[in-house]
Amino acid sequence: MAVIEIKDFKKSFGTKQVHDGVNFTVNKGECLGLVGGSGAGKSVILRSLIGLEKADSGSIIINSIDITRMSENNLIEIRKKVAYVFQNGALFDSMTVFDNLAYSLRAHTKMTHDQMDKKISDQLDEFGLLSAKKLYPSELSGGMQKRVGLARAIMMDPDVILYDEPTAGLDPYNTLKIQELILRLKAKKVTSILVTHDMPTGIAVCDRFVFLQNKVISENGTTQELLGQPNSLVNQFIKGQIV
Amino acid sequence: MSNTNAGQTKLFKYIEAPLLELGGITQLVKSFFSELRTKPFYFNLLIEQIYFIGVKSLPLILITAISSGMVLALQYGLGLEKFGGKPYVPRLVASSILREMGPVFTGLMIAARVGAGIASEIGSMVVTQQIDAMRALGTSPIKRIVIPRILACLIALPILVAVCAVIGNIGGLIVGQYELGLDSAFYFRRVMETSNLKDYIAGMGKAVFFSLFISIPACYYGLNVKNGTKEVGLATTKAVVAGSLLIFVGDFFLTKLFWIIEKWL
Repeated sequence: MAVIEIKDFKKSFGTKQVHDGVNFTVNKGECLGLVGGSGAGKSVILRSLIGLEKADSGSIIINSIDITRMSENNLIEIRKKVAYVFQNGALFDSMTVFDNLAYSLRAHTKMTHDQMDKKISDQLDEFGLLSAKKLYPSELSGGMQKRVGLARAIMMDPDVILYDEPTAGLDPYNTLKIQELILRLKAKKVTSILVTHDMPTGIAVCDRFVFLQNKVISENGTTQELLGQPNSLVNQFIKGQIV
Repeated sequence: MSNTNAGQTKLFKYIEAPLLELGGITQLVKSFFSELRTKPFYFNLLIEQIYFIGVKSLPLILITAISSGMVLALQYGLGLEKFGGKPYVPRLVASSILREMGPVFTGLMIAARVGAGIASEIGSMVVTQQIDAMRALGTSPIKRIVIPRILACLIALPILVAVCAVIGNIGGLIVGQYELGLDSAFYFRRVMETSNLKDYIAGMGKAVFFSLFISIPACYYGLNVKNGTKEVGLATTKAVVAGSLLIFVGDFFLTKLFWIIEKWL
């Protein structure tokens, strides 16, 4: 059953058209890799899936609800169940790690401080970040910021997670840490889309890939299928033969 | 022919940009009022902003107020001395500060300090995707960012204008006594006797409008930063310029408006 459906999605910025009829679906519990060259518009699709960008035409359906032209107020309910992991973490720099994680709990739940503290401490422990609980984002390394960003995104136990280059700029140790966390969430049957240029991570976590090229999806197949075809766009992309 | 077309395109661009800004600001005001009526209301954020805008601006306002009060008393005193008009100095200083100098100088200081602060803070949050994160986490940046700042300005600015009026008159009194040779008790009595409710209404009324002139453009320019950190500086400049110009231009029309209102009272 498709949890995410994008149908004939078109998007322009001024006179520059970025997408001209993008179509794909993501099934429940599946992790889809959205790959393509820099500037192909991968992040724009991801942002549109949570209503941070509006489609010019076409439709975006999440859990059978068309969110394409939804108002900001109506999108709040969708955003409780669809998490977005920003490339740079996008942590609130005036808040501690604890407050960053408590942000959505305070906004959407009636948890007491003690309940919140327990849930956040458990989450941070799972992410290896318990010692950073009282620190501010500026006191964290890049890898830690990304992990906190991921921890914050999943505080509301979302059905869908959208990862925007979660391993970009990280060293192998932190890349592996993020990979493990994504696999752990995948094991919980969370549906996800991973936008990445880091193909080893993509191959490790994604069930399927779609390749964005020339404003449309040029290739769509399972990881095994695409890696098994020497001329597949994904293989060419890995070898640096196309951008 | 092509020159005409190019000229028209250029003219259109000149007209288009301010119209888009006006539309954007109108949209922001509309969102402010519609979201103000719905829950939740972040009271702690409002208190935080009142502290930042009101309490933290106090030293700046005290210095501005005492300086302008002293200068006004000196200028009026020296000017009126040859006509024997020194006894009118307290009334003139009080009226000028209550009606004009208090709200305008306080407004300009707040536009520079707070307007710039709001625009650069929000702009930086846009650049670092913190505003997007707020939306992605199912909360409204209007509620968390815009409403507390506009309301805090609406609350803090009239209070600062009142403080400015008191301190400005104290400055006038000091100069009146030590430079113009006026008795301090006489000066104080004249200020109290000649200042009336209409002076306060005009001054406070202007302060309310000025707080909107400062906070709304500052929030708008901050939220509309698009192309990285360079635009944060540009947004800050725009916020201060827009706030200051609106205060100057608006002051004329508000003065007229309050004269009309006073005639009814």
